[in-house]
Amino acid sequence: MSDPNGIGNESNPNDPYEINILEPGAVSFSRSQGGVFQGVVEGKAYEEMILFRIFPFQYTTKYISVRDAKGDEIGVIRDIDQLDEESRAEMDKELQLRYFLPLVTRIDAVKQKSDLWIWDLQTNLGPTRIVMRNLHEHMQYPSVNRIILTDINGKRCEIHDWQALDGHSRNQLKDVI
Amino acid sequence: MFVIDKLPETIGNQLTEKWLFHSVSDLMNDGQFGEQWLVLTEKEVSVWSTDGVQVSKLAISDITDARAVGGVGGGSLLADTKGGPVVLIRYTASLTSIFGFASKLIGAVAKGEERPTASEKEFPRNCPNCRNPLPDGSQACPVCKSNGKVLFRMLSYAKPYRIQMVAAAIMLIFTTLVELIPPILTKMILDDVLAPKDMGSTLLWIVIGLAATSLVVTLMQTVRGIIGVWIGSKLMGDLRHDVYHSLMRLSLSFFDRRQTSQFIGRVNNDSEAMRQFMTDGVIWVAGESLRVVAIFIIMFSFDWKLTLLAMLPIPLMILVSSVLWPMIGRRWYQQWRSIFRLNALVGDSLQGIRVVKAFGQETTEMSRYTAANKELVRYNIRIEGLWQGMFPVFALVAGAGSLLIWYYGGKTVLNGGISIGTLIALITYLGMLLGPLQWVSQMINWATHAISAADRVFEIMDTPSDVPETANPAHIGRVRGEVEFHQVTYGYEKHHPVLKNVNLKVAAGEMIGLVGHSGAGKSTFINLICRFYDTDEGFITIDGTDICQISQLDLRKQIGVVLQETFLFDGTIAENIAYSKPEATEEEIMRAAKIANAHDFIVRLPDGYDTRVGERGHKLSGGEKQRVSIARAIIHDPRILILDEATASVDTETERQIQEAISRLVKGRTTFAIAHRLSTLRNADRLVVLERGKIVEVGTHEELLSTEGAYFKLVEAQKEMSKIKGVENA
Ligand SMILES: Nc1ncnc2c1ncn2[C@@H]1O[C@H](COP(=O)(O)OP(=O)(O)OP(=O)(O)O)[C@@H](O)[C@H]1O
Ligand SMILES: [Mg+2]
Repeated sequence: MSDPNGIGNESNPNDPYEINILEPGAVSFSRSQGGVFQGVVEGKAYEEMILFRIFPFQYTTKYISVRDAKGDEIGVIRDIDQLDEESRAEMDKELQLRYFLPLVTRIDAVKQKSDLWIWDLQTNLGPTRIVMRNLHEHMQYPSVNRIILTDINGKRCEIHDWQALDGHSRNQLKDVI
Repeated sequence: MFVIDKLPETIGNQLTEKWLFHSVSDLMNDGQFGEQWLVLTEKEVSVWSTDGVQVSKLAISDITDARAVGGVGGGSLLADTKGGPVVLIRYTASLTSIFGFASKLIGAVAKGEERPTASEKEFPRNCPNCRNPLPDGSQACPVCKSNGKVLFRMLSYAKPYRIQMVAAAIMLIFTTLVELIPPILTKMILDDVLAPKDMGSTLLWIVIGLAATSLVVTLMQTVRGIIGVWIGSKLMGDLRHDVYHSLMRLSLSFFDRRQTSQFIGRVNNDSEAMRQFMTDGVIWVAGESLRVVAIFIIMFSFDWKLTLLAMLPIPLMILVSSVLWPMIGRRWYQQWRSIFRLNALVGDSLQGIRVVKAFGQETTEMSRYTAANKELVRYNIRIEGLWQGMFPVFALVAGAGSLLIWYYGGKTVLNGGISIGTLIALITYLGMLLGPLQWVSQMINWATHAISAADRVFEIMDTPSDVPETANPAHIGRVRGEVEFHQVTYGYEKHHPVLKNVNLKVAAGEMIGLVGHSGAGKSTFINLICRFYDTDEGFITIDGTDICQISQLDLRKQIGVVLQETFLFDGTIAENIAYSKPEATEEEIMRAAKIANAHDFIVRLPDGYDTRVGERGHKLSGGEKQRVSIARAIIHDPRILILDEATASVDTETERQIQEAISRLVKGRTTFAIAHRLSTLRNADRLVVLERGKIVEVGTHEELLSTEGAYFKLVEAQKEMSKIKGVENA
């Protein structure tokens, strides 16, 4: 059901009720001098574009909704790996920036101080600290070994697979999951 | 009071003019964690690294506008220039509000408009000491705060019952002391009667003494038990009362983010855990520690060397306890969380039982339950097992003490150092000591359980309402009903505004029709009038008074709402109609129902107005429920009437009747009506068209039709629909 391919087969591009799947050849993306994500889609140039992950928890580089600055959908890209090198790199970067979700590489410590839980983490974007009021509302499990941690202020980090972390980190996690 | 980080001197020294604003971000431009400073002066915006190197700058004259673009978990501050937009700085979600303000300020400076002033809301609030975020509405940093506080706070619940507590304590002291007598008596039997083989009258007296002590102990224990139960139940009652009150006080946004079924268990289980600790726990600790002290004194007076030997294992036990303590706490919490998930699951599927059955998903639900249940079993074993395992270990360690006494004490007896009676008394006392020492492990268990329960309970109590009650409410009396929105921006999630910069002035008695696509923000608009949520920016006034300055009771008295999701309470129809006015007479109830066109169908029900509508009003059809809730709003006689899709699930004929009723009702009342069926709004004085949270058009039906804008399109689309369906209801 989450696979629009089946429906996409008989698509009519002019049908407003149809998902407009963008063909890899019809798009190219780049970054402006000012650092803004932009591109050309189906022959039309956009000086600012916004990317949405359609299944942010399930797929990070597949099913990307490409939208104009106002938020109207231009189309959907099935898999960014199909794009040309520059577009793919820029898209990847833009997604990383827009979906700020550092990947936890190591858990230094999980401490409980009075009514706050403090996580000291190493992530792919550098060290950070996450502070939670409690565990049951700030930890999500999108799949069995995947954990999303949310800070009091809304900052989020992802543990991609907690079983795959090193022993020290797993030990820290043992009593909190 | 808020703390803004000071601009580092290395940067400040390089600035040629005074700066208007500065702020530190927590991300580098490539998305890595790191600090960068944004500085705004009259002439330029610049970004600096912490060590004073300028990263980028932009002249104000090049900037046309600035905006904060929110991503997920973070955002970036963008400046629009003639050469296209430029990214100034990036930040994580915790800094959204401060950079939102920065964007407005930069925009205002660039456009030469009036500059916004920062309010406290917009600054991230961190503890000046440890830099961890502060809870909303409080200056006390929970990290720097000591842990003992929870304990004291919990104990403060016992305060009103201190007389009873003291009585129980005295009785406990007394029992404890009395319980210490029998070993002395046995020692006397051994040393004075059995050893010398001298019968006399002593034996009888000693036996009578033994009997008397056990009688007294039994009596005392019974009385103390009864007092304990009494205090305990009262305490539970107080706790539940407080938790429930705190829940009712909290704003809607608190509940939006949580599954409500969790609170049922929370109110009951957590207060039970706290009660157990406070009554059984505290009394036991007091009693048992007293007993320990008394026993040691007696034992020392018998033979201090042997007593010291017996005490050898104690440091070990203390050590083990302190290691286990935090672990047990976490495991209790773990077990609690799996109960919590299980409860949420049950609550969820039972509330949606119709959907479950409709889609035939019973087996899926069952397997979801099975999985959660298994998990709970596992955690249960983990925690219970841990502490069941601890118990015998503690007993063993403590038992080692008595082995030492048997060995060395036995030797001393043989040497004639002490009498055999003393040895037996020592051993007996040591055995009595074992009890309290084992209780140490039980106490750890209770206390950690209670503290984590108390943490959660106090968390609810301490959560400040997002819509705080003002300290000095303005007395508004009965309002005229002028409502005005002043540049209101609101998002359920701060970084994702749903209403954007809404300005609207509504005269008293005016009827406003709100139209727009689904999700445009219509319900949000009226939620703000009801002050279910507070605006993020801007404010709303009623008769010129900011609604934050009006007490919520007063405010709700002026407003009658029919919400999009009709909800009826478990009770009779009459009770539901009279919900906001319990003193309403039968006639008033009937009149209200009549206006709402509900009277007829209610009377035809076998139980009439006394029909019990179960949880959520299952027994009524969608349209019937809506009409009952319209009656509920009408009886309130509000100055401001809010109808959110009030007639969405009734047929056109009934709708026409309700329309008539409403048109009578709205006379002289300010009314906000939302309807997708545009014909419903034909009585409206003005129509407000919302599109993605912005007001795009305001005017009468005719005006808006003639401009052929967004409203025109909506009307056309509906006409189209009616043609398809072959009906014309406009
Ligand atoms: N409690 C909530 N928490 C988070 N987001 C919400 C909440 N309620 C509504 N929203 C979001 O706010 C936006 C506006 O919702 P709103 O209910 O105001 O729409 P509406 O105009 O009343 O739509 P409809 O005509 O379908 O009732 C929607 O995008 C919705 O997803
Ligand atoms: Mg709505």
